[in-house]
Amino acid sequence: MRWRAARRSRSIRDGVIPAGYDSLDEYDTAAEVDAAFRTLRRGALGYFAVFLVAVGGVPGLTLTLNWWSEGQLIGGMSPSFVMAAFGFYIFFWLLGLAAASLSTAVEARMLGGQETDPAEREGGA
Amino acid sequence: MVDASIVTLVVVLVVTLTLALAVRPKGASTLDFYLAGQRVGVVTNACAICGDYFSAASFLGVAAAVYASGLDGVWYATGFAAGFVPVLLFVAAPLRRFGEFSIPDFLGRRFDSATVRLTAVAVVQLVIVSYLVPQAVASGITWELLVGHGIAGLPPYATGVLMSTTVITLLVVLGGMRGTTWTQAVQFLLLLAVLVWLAAAVLGSGFNYWTAVDDLAAQPLANPSQADGRWQLANEPNRLDEGAPSYFGEPGARYGSLGQFALIITLVLGTAGLPHVMNRYFTSPTGNAARMTTVWVLGLAGLFYALAVMLGTAARSLIPEAVAGRPWLGALTVDGVLRVPENALLVLGQVYGGQPGLGLIATGALIAVMSTIAGLLLASAASWGHDVYEGHLNPRATQRQAIWAGRLAVMGVALLSGVLALGLRPESMTALLPSIVASMVTWAFALAGSALTPVLILAIWWRGTTAAGATAGMTTGAIVAVGMFSTGLITADQGLAEIFLTPTLISGPMAVLATIAVSSRTRPPAELERLWLRLHGTAADRQTERLARLTITGVSDRPKEAP
Amino acid sequence: MSSGSLPLAGALAVAWGAVYLVTQVVTEPALGVGTTVLAGVGLTLLLTLAYPSALRGPRSTRSGQRPPGRRGVASRSRHTIAAVGRPMPLRSGLTAEAAMRTARLLRPLLGCDAVAITDREGVLAFVGPGSDHHNVGDPPQPRTSARVLAGAGTLVVRSRRTLGCAAPGCPLRTAVVAPLAIGKRIIGTLTVYRVDDNPPSRDVVEGMAGILSLHLELAELDRERKLAVDAKLGALRAQINPHFLFNTLNTIASKARTDPEEARQLLLRLSDFFRYAVRQDGHFAEFGQEYFFVRTYLSLEQARYGDRLRVRYDVDPRVLTAHVPVLAIQPLVENAVKHGLANKVEGGTVTLKARVDPLTRTTSIRVSDDGVGMPPDLLKKITSEAVSTPEGIGLRNVSERLDTLFGERYHFDIRSKEGEGTSVDLRIPLG
Repeated sequence: MRWRAARRSRSIRDGVIPAGYDSLDEYDTAAEVDAAFRTLRRGALGYFAVFLVAVGGVPGLTLTLNWWSEGQLIGGMSPSFVMAAFGFYIFFWLLGLAAASLSTAVEARMLGGQETDPAEREGGA
Repeated sequence: MVDASIVTLVVVLVVTLTLALAVRPKGASTLDFYLAGQRVGVVTNACAICGDYFSAASFLGVAAAVYASGLDGVWYATGFAAGFVPVLLFVAAPLRRFGEFSIPDFLGRRFDSATVRLTAVAVVQLVIVSYLVPQAVASGITWELLVGHGIAGLPPYATGVLMSTTVITLLVVLGGMRGTTWTQAVQFLLLLAVLVWLAAAVLGSGFNYWTAVDDLAAQPLANPSQADGRWQLANEPNRLDEGAPSYFGEPGARYGSLGQFALIITLVLGTAGLPHVMNRYFTSPTGNAARMTTVWVLGLAGLFYALAVMLGTAARSLIPEAVAGRPWLGALTVDGVLRVPENALLVLGQVYGGQPGLGLIATGALIAVMSTIAGLLLASAASWGHDVYEGHLNPRATQRQAIWAGRLAVMGVALLSGVLALGLRPESMTALLPSIVASMVTWAFALAGSALTPVLILAIWWRGTTAAGATAGMTTGAIVAVGMFSTGLITADQGLAEIFLTPTLISGPMAVLATIAVSSRTRPPAELERLWLRLHGTAADRQTERLARLTITGVSDRPKEAP
Repeated sequence: MSSGSLPLAGALAVAWGAVYLVTQVVTEPALGVGTTVLAGVGLTLLLTLAYPSALRGPRSTRSGQRPPGRRGVASRSRHTIAAVGRPMPLRSGLTAEAAMRTARLLRPLLGCDAVAITDREGVLAFVGPGSDHHNVGDPPQPRTSARVLAGAGTLVVRSRRTLGCAAPGCPLRTAVVAPLAIGKRIIGTLTVYRVDDNPPSRDVVEGMAGILSLHLELAELDRERKLAVDAKLGALRAQINPHFLFNTLNTIASKARTDPEEARQLLLRLSDFFRYAVRQDGHFAEFGQEYFFVRTYLSLEQARYGDRLRVRYDVDPRVLTAHVPVLAIQPLVENAVKHGLANKVEGGTVTLKARVDPLTRTTSIRVSDDGVGMPPDLLKKITSEAVSTPEGIGLRNVSERLDTLFGERYHFDIRSKEGEGTSVDLRIPLG
């Protein structure tokens, strides 16, 4: 209740809302949130599995594959060193970017209304 | 050497104090004091998180670990950077959407339970103290190494500890989060600039990263050690291959087969439970902004650690040649290898930038320490002032009273960590320095990753988690982690000690099991649907975004707007 | 969806085993790790990429949208045109632009000097000598094309005079004029000219005109079918159940007293609902948009039924951007509410489950409820298209549209048990 009251008071406080924007109050239904939640969880677990495989795989490969820690890839670096010195950071960043954009896209599509521009909403109302 | 250090130190302190006071919030409310009014831009917030996160362990420690152990030292950098991936995947957006003040507050409201809140406060305070003490120790040691003499009759080490703690406590007390968000961001940018400058200087002098790693593999990795009172180089034994020497670019110099997994898991899971980092997420305007903040953090951290790893390699490769003709360097090294690996960046700074260069790197180290201490103190203040004082001792507290409770708590915690740091002062600090700073930071990660992260993730993603389950999980995680760590310190050597000293691999899953086992025997809190709407729904975010858009169009379209 | 992934997993395991055998056991000395991994990865890529087409048969270019009944005709004509080796422009109808391209295509093929195509109004295209004065848009020549258009059948013109060209320098001397017809209706002519005195072969020209007529007929059918689908879509839009509207308005009216804020929200949702239904003009929409439509609908129904209607969505993130037939899911959900749950006292759960199988490139959607279900005879009545029951209207509309959009490449299946609920399964190609 505290939260709803806070939300309500916010829209009252900011009170001066131009005509046509009266649909400022956004709300989600429980079933929608539950669906988005499970879809997000599915995605996050998938990415986490990929992340774990990569983070565990690099030291794992050093234990099982000689080429991984002794081979020469660029100049004199072993694949394992290249991975630890650059590869991981690029990988983490790309993974993070992909996960963040997926989650944002999922939320945009699964929660809230369609993105209609205000003019159209106004005209339609 | 002394003059340069003192000048840079004074300059840094003046700059940060000015910044903190200049942007000091006017008419501070509790929200402003702790959370900067929840309106901090994505990039600013990312920089501030980096400022909180990169402590002395990251700045000097990663380069030192690479310098001392080669590839096995790089795992520190990997683990520190990887820690933000679980944060991004599981914690950032929902935590922000739920929108409370701190981790204990979040857990307390999620489970509607004072027990959970107080347990979380206890764990958070443990994590903060075990993170604070090594920072204070590191600042004392830096002072001792660089300035060499104390002020007002105190020994140099004590001067360093007290100076840093006092100054930062003042900053936090006066500025609050708004002040420290900006100073943290500025401090991180300074830190990054220092690192970039050093990297550019090293690369500009013709250092070839690619071939350097190959050249270093020509002979076994050797580090100085003290035998019969004399310093000499000793080959690092290979922990993967009994009896063989270890090499710079190959694994085995530091960890056995299980050790590297244990360390990485500890660091990866720890970040999501670090209170001073996670509190920053409450200052994002929306959940999506919190996510994008983390993406920025991942990028910045990647850049930072890639540079730190390169500089550690460069130090290993360049210092032997630099010893000739530099008597001051000869005094620090044994056959071209530094006695204290933490000095690696400082030495590179002086080799490539002379006195000002050394001053710059020392400034970087102090900045790293200061910004982390500030973040930790603030997290501690939020936890005491808000969770304990406002939540339990005096629920009708006015904002003024709550803020003052927080300020008093900051002073108390700072005093405690200062005293602990003074008490922990290592007798022979040069020999024990790396182990104390690095392992205490790792221990904070282990505690956070065992007690807080599993419960936090389950609380967000599993409806069935109950108050009793969360309490059980936190308690189990903390007790197992502390127990294993103590066992590891006592038995203290190879083999299983590796896992005992980085216990998350075992204590984390045990916390998860305890949470699940107890939760499935108790009832989840009532009104779960409403909690879920708040935790995973985007209605409030959309409203915020729309209001923001309206404000922007409202301002630019005002002439056209007809009433 | 695992039905698609499991065989591939098996094939990959076999492939890696084979790679291991060949490189590590058979070869002496064993190959290096790099080579082995490279070979394995290459094979994996090959298998994974080739897998979907192996499942579906050779990839066809958009021919999947042809209805099954006409597939025979279509492939026969494609075979004839395959001799030419180029797609037939007239497939899109008798337009000036298509006629010009066809004429250019036919001139070398028929071994003639000039080709003209007219419709009933005038010349659409003229290619070859004489094009300087035989202009596009001229009326049909009264003595040749006009006669053919009037139904005179194929004409062979052997003299320049009969050709009727007034221009003095016209090089054309002989011609064959054949009608282009859709069924019995003549809609144009094909004229093939020569500059010498041997007219082109009447049989060849007649045959070619026949082929062109066939294409025109297909074009006409395409257009008609599109009109039919449009009409069905229009019918569906207009078909939004008036009862639903009345019930929702009643709900809103009663909430207006007790909870004005919720009433306002419901009104906004109702306007979202109608806006979406009216604004869709294509045949496909992103699943995300259809999902929005479905949850808008269900949240309105939930306001009416309260706790009796529970909803569960189970959506794969990848399905959100897949294209699905527009307004196809909501009728299924509406059926589940109206016929499955409305008559059940204790209410129940409607479940919408959407998945994507990237390997077989299929989108699968299932709408199920645990409501009253249907007796077998009613189920049979609904699924057989001949009988129209009130329950079946939405279903039939959807399944007819699926028929025209996907031909045989979709799967639509209703299962129901009395007292246990109904589930509707829909599998369509991922687009």
